[in-house]
Amino acid sequence: MANSKRISAIILIIVIATFLLSWIIKAFNLEGSPNNTGLWFSIRDAFFITIAAFLTLAIFSFLYKDNPYYKFAEHLFVGISAAYWMCVGFWSTLIGNLVPNISSSLSTFFRVPYKGLHFTYFVPLILGIILLMRLSSKRGWISRWALAWIVGTTSGLNLIRYLRTDFISQVSNTFIPLLVDWKGVGPFFSHFSLSSTGQFAMTLSNWVIFIGVFCGLIYFFFSKEHKGIFGTASRVGIWVLMITFGASFGYTVMGRVSLLVGRLTYLFRDWLGLIS
Amino acid sequence: MTNIGLIISFLVIGVGLLWLFILALKGREVDRRIIFIFIGLAVSVPLLFRISFSEKATPIVRDVFYKIENLPEGSNILLSYDYGPSMAPEVEPMSNAFLRHALAKNHKVFIMCLWATGQSLIATAIDSIIKREFPEKINGVDYINIGFKAGGQGVLNVIITDFRKMYLTDVDGVNLDSVPIFKGIKSLKDMDLLISIGGGFPGVKEWILFAGAPGNIPTAGGSAAVAAPLLYPYYPKQMVGLLGGIKGAAEYESELKKVYPQFANMPTPGIAMMGPQTLAHLVVMAFIVIGNIAFFVNRRRKP
Amino acid sequence: MKLKILSIFCSLLLGIVPLAIAQENADTASVDSTAVASPAPVSQLTAVDTDNDHGHSISLKWEPSPDDGAGLKSVIGYEVYRAESPGGPFVIRAALPSGASSHIDVGAKEKESGDYMADYTDYYYKVRAITADSLVYSDSDVFGPVQCYGQWFNTGRIPVLVFVIGFMCTTILLIQKAKSGAKLFVRRLAGIEAVDEAIGRATEMGKPILYVLGLGTAADIATIASYTILGRVAKKVAEYQTRLIVPCYDPITMTVAQETVKTAYADAGRPDDYNEDMVYFVTQSQFAYVAAVNGTMLRERPATNIYMGLFYAESLILAETGALAGSIQISGTDQIAQIPFFIVACDYTLIGEELYAASAYLGREPLLLGSLKAQDYAKAAFIVLAVIGFLTINFGIDWFKQLFYISN
Repeated sequence: MANSKRISAIILIIVIATFLLSWIIKAFNLEGSPNNTGLWFSIRDAFFITIAAFLTLAIFSFLYKDNPYYKFAEHLFVGISAAYWMCVGFWSTLIGNLVPNISSSLSTFFRVPYKGLHFTYFVPLILGIILLMRLSSKRGWISRWALAWIVGTTSGLNLIRYLRTDFISQVSNTFIPLLVDWKGVGPFFSHFSLSSTGQFAMTLSNWVIFIGVFCGLIYFFFSKEHKGIFGTASRVGIWVLMITFGASFGYTVMGRVSLLVGRLTYLFRDWLGLIS
Repeated sequence: MTNIGLIISFLVIGVGLLWLFILALKGREVDRRIIFIFIGLAVSVPLLFRISFSEKATPIVRDVFYKIENLPEGSNILLSYDYGPSMAPEVEPMSNAFLRHALAKNHKVFIMCLWATGQSLIATAIDSIIKREFPEKINGVDYINIGFKAGGQGVLNVIITDFRKMYLTDVDGVNLDSVPIFKGIKSLKDMDLLISIGGGFPGVKEWILFAGAPGNIPTAGGSAAVAAPLLYPYYPKQMVGLLGGIKGAAEYESELKKVYPQFANMPTPGIAMMGPQTLAHLVVMAFIVIGNIAFFVNRRRKP
Repeated sequence: MKLKILSIFCSLLLGIVPLAIAQENADTASVDSTAVASPAPVSQLTAVDTDNDHGHSISLKWEPSPDDGAGLKSVIGYEVYRAESPGGPFVIRAALPSGASSHIDVGAKEKESGDYMADYTDYYYKVRAITADSLVYSDSDVFGPVQCYGQWFNTGRIPVLVFVIGFMCTTILLIQKAKSGAKLFVRRLAGIEAVDEAIGRATEMGKPILYVLGLGTAADIATIASYTILGRVAKKVAEYQTRLIVPCYDPITMTVAQETVKTAYADAGRPDDYNEDMVYFVTQSQFAYVAAVNGTMLRERPATNIYMGLFYAESLILAETGALAGSIQISGTDQIAQIPFFIVACDYTLIGEELYAASAYLGREPLLLGSLKAQDYAKAAFIVLAVIGFLTINFGIDWFKQLFYISN
């Protein structure tokens, strides 16, 4: 126990010493750079770069195991983000959207352009206050009305949009030719090409789209047990889905790796100066 | 430098993978921290030795490029920065490429965001791209930043009929009616192309659902890789084209360099990232193959 | 003699001056002959009220000038003018490039706007073909009067109306059928049957259950479906007296979740065991939320993690950390992008709509069952229409596809 405390203390001293050393070296590097903006700014910028690098490494340390440095970075992130989003919510929604439409004196006070008195904006104001009634144990039930309004309005707005774009348009998107640019068997083989825009690839693509949509929909059919031909189609559907998920997974791995590359670029370039 | 880096990468990682393969065949468990080290090496070495690969634009990326390219000079293009710093390494290369392309074609660029965190990224883009590379472009004449408005798709519902119901001024407080670029612009329907860059909510899908499709306005997207597969069903009828992840950004940058010689020396973070990406993907593929072989071998070994 | 010379000089002068003038005129005449000739005007100009809008808009069409790209090739564009009487004054409304043959003149609906265009007011239009010389142009005949007005019904969206009415009627009918006691079949879902097992496991091990509702708001369908499953889990947890942890991303979701868990405890006959701290708000920042939940997973070491709702990029981080902590994991989301991660890292996954089906399967409420059945009918309709459309396109029949065209 005393040993582990000693080790923790040594690690802490090393971390602090490395932080200070890094800060000083970075400040000198920034001051000596062609874009030098003065000693104070170099010290300030060096501090921010160093602390960003150390927080990055603190989060990365979780890959080894959970530790106080990771916890510190996590709690710092949670606290700052909670405060940030509260400020954004206040200034963007209340001051940005509500105040300019209900009060000219408040608009002047908060220095936002007054858009004129629109009585319709009092409706969300009242609904917002009703929603806050949730905090009262006696009157909390009234907040359900505001919630019902939110759910109803969102559903109504979204129903038409999603039905139009994600259902009707997609139905017509499956009206695709079985054989693309078909001029006969001879021309098909004489102009055969594996190019992605070639006849063969486009034809295969259309077949995959149609069978995939058909069988995928059957998999999500809940009113019938998946047996017999229906079961076979459902299994084809789940295979298509799994292949899609695999491709999607691969795409996301690419996304995650690029975020890692971005972070390492920051460490190597902005902090350590190893790459330009 | 690049060749030495490639040789070192393949040697170190290749030997390491062989060792892992032997361990796996013996049925020994591999600590996940070893896997993390491999991924770290696969990404760090190409970065340090500047290994990169050339890119060729695929049709879905080319369609966006040539849409911007073929619009008459002076067309109105709206760029929406719907992402935050967490997605920036992936999508910032594409947003910078769009900005360069649109300004090089002398299009009028309208910049906004549906994410609060997009505001600082727009400011960075204006300082690092427009003011540095296009100093002749005038704010309010050639481009404008109207900033962020809270409301997500609600904002799109409003500005598809009237911009001024949501935006009275730009981010500097200048009235839109006094700004030359906004003369004759009433709503999103006056835009010749909408481009949303992001990968979360609201993002490209919301722009298609609430602006592009109902307003019949050509819409293109630049999306983080995780959201890109969801958007393919909209191509090509409801979406002009899509840049999917850093690969899409790299393809767009390579097309831009090919068509515009003035961008020969521009920073291409998308293309630069392809080296680490390729190596990391090869390592992941090797892990999958090793893991599956080990799984089947060990299953056969057990009675 | 002198007189003779003077007369010759005068006659010469009289001859030279006209010649000079004539020459000048000839030069001027040659200048005139190179000036831009007036182009032919546009023809067949028509203006009608723009269809399917809220008014304040008129659509114009015309035949371009024969000198646009042909003939004199002098036309470089067109200008559209509008007046409130046939004699003017006309104001310019649009400047269009050469080749243009139509324009929609849109005005503002607010009277105080400088661009106000009143409905039910006579307007007159003319189109001017312009050349490089601003003084050389030609106007079409004035067309009018034409009035603009809004339409109550957007005929371009009839397909949407048909589907909305069809779907709503089907849903209402099936809900009524469910309410009348008819048994509506829903097939077995493996993930849901595993939930009871997982709760039992947690009770045996004396460890808590972590339930994550995701990043959705209370208005998102996935979150609403998750509430039903949370209610079922909370009821079981109350019966077995296992600890439940529900960290929330959205404050409104938290309030509904608190209600759900409280009600579940009351239904299980253990209202006093309910503790408000079970369901708590963390933060509305995505990665800060996941960092906090990860920390909870590693500190509390729950036996079971249940992820049901709307997830984004944090899904893999959550599922990986849960696997690291050794928990059994059951997940369900309608976010297609996140399903691969849950499939890989969790023991059971409800894919997409299975999450909605699960809430109907568990709750057996007529509303949920009826809605699920209506969705199944909609899917069946999709398949039938897709097959018909696929066949008609391949046999060269186009009219079926036109039925699905939505203009704006």
